[in-house]
Amino acid sequence: MTLRRFLLLAGLLLILFLGMYSWNQQTRLLDDLTTKLGLEATGAVLSPLDSLMGQGKELWYKYVDLVNVREENIHLKQQIEILKDRLLAHAEDLAELKRLRELVQLPEVTGWKLLGARVLAGRMGPNAVLDSITINRGYVTGGRPGTPLRTHQGLVGRILKASAHSAIALLLTDPGSHIAVITQESRAPGILVGRGMNRQLEVNFVRRDTKVTSGEILVTSGLDGKYPKGIPVARIVHAAPSDYTQFMAITAEPLVDLQHIEEVLLLEPTGLASYMMNQNDAPLDFVGPPPPRTITP
Amino acid sequence: MKIIYETLWWAAFLVCGIAFQTLVPKVDVLTGGVIILLQERNYKNLCWLLPACILLQEGMGTREFGAAILWYAAVIIFFKAGRWLFEAQNFLFVFLLSTCLGATSYALHWLLAPLQDIAFDTQNAVNASLLQAILLPCVWGILVTTRHWNKHVQEL
Repeated sequence: MTLRRFLLLAGLLLILFLGMYSWNQQTRLLDDLTTKLGLEATGAVLSPLDSLMGQGKELWYKYVDLVNVREENIHLKQQIEILKDRLLAHAEDLAELKRLRELVQLPEVTGWKLLGARVLAGRMGPNAVLDSITINRGYVTGGRPGTPLRTHQGLVGRILKASAHSAIALLLTDPGSHIAVITQESRAPGILVGRGMNRQLEVNFVRRDTKVTSGEILVTSGLDGKYPKGIPVARIVHAAPSDYTQFMAITAEPLVDLQHIEEVLLLEPTGLASYMMNQNDAPLDFVGPPPPRTITP
Repeated sequence: MKIIYETLWWAAFLVCGIAFQTLVPKVDVLTGGVIILLQERNYKNLCWLLPACILLQEGMGTREFGAAILWYAAVIIFFKAGRWLFEAQNFLFVFLLSTCLGATSYALHWLLAPLQDIAFDTQNAVNASLLQAILLPCVWGILVTTRHWNKHVQEL
């Protein structure tokens, strides 16, 4: 092959590749195809392996590694007693909250269903450039793109792409992750942005005059429409007025140890919401404004 | 009998490759299999393995479609160019090839990050490229030792 022919062929292939790349960016057909086939195949391989490893671990922890179990049991029983006490103390507050909500007719949105999922892997392969995890739920089993993920400790991220039975979730530490948050005590809104794994998060657009303190918890504000309101996300590490902008310079750390998560909870939107109503009223099924009151002459 | 061995070997290779990639991120282990097939001139098997590798790598990754095509195209081009100049069956050749592919890995990171609007992290890209360059000869070595029934083909 002469040099001229080689260059012509290389140029032709490059044009073909660029054409395919831009066509895919518009249609996402090839991305969908690889997600549906490639990710599904990966999940099909990893799920049995994960299950096998889980059984092995269970066997070890349940029947072999039983050192200090008695002491741990005594300690846990004590903790249960303490928590029972705390629950009792909060029960009165909860009842009061319910009465007050009813009094001001504040709608209580409960349109999220919790679904458990197992983490199959972290970043996989050379093309995993974003901070992500792979889970064993796909669009058939409740893991649709956009579904938020959390653990009992706090928010993890949301699903980026999904095949039928597996999905890849973007973690909140990724620089592409932007979450609308609010500080738990001072109620100052802001946007939480990731800066990469092992680096602290950044909270942008918090007003200078707000009294934000280190150690305060950031919870989702729900204003972005991506996450339900009130999920704990991160703890503020440092807060001071910025030297360069008109906002506060705030750094935070995630509440969840994102490098060692094994299970997550998916918050599947059900499209349902319950409102505080009289017990005799028929239940409302769909999210939307409350029904108009009957006009009495 | 050979067909059964081949089928089982490639199935085990894909399963182990995927499992290994969960343990060591940012590395393409499946490239080892493609190099083996190129060395054996087994283009029939390459016809299904190459699309399978592209599908798997693109599916489990978070990049937009296209990076795996460029990667495997680079593997084939470097292999063909290398075979034209050197003896392609020995460890030294694979080591040279993996060095070139390490550089290719860095170039792909640099090229595709702005296309997908991702910040290019030089340190991460260098780490991933070095890891790829170091691991590929090891993976190739393990794969060659487990394909003992194909020794006569490799010696051609």
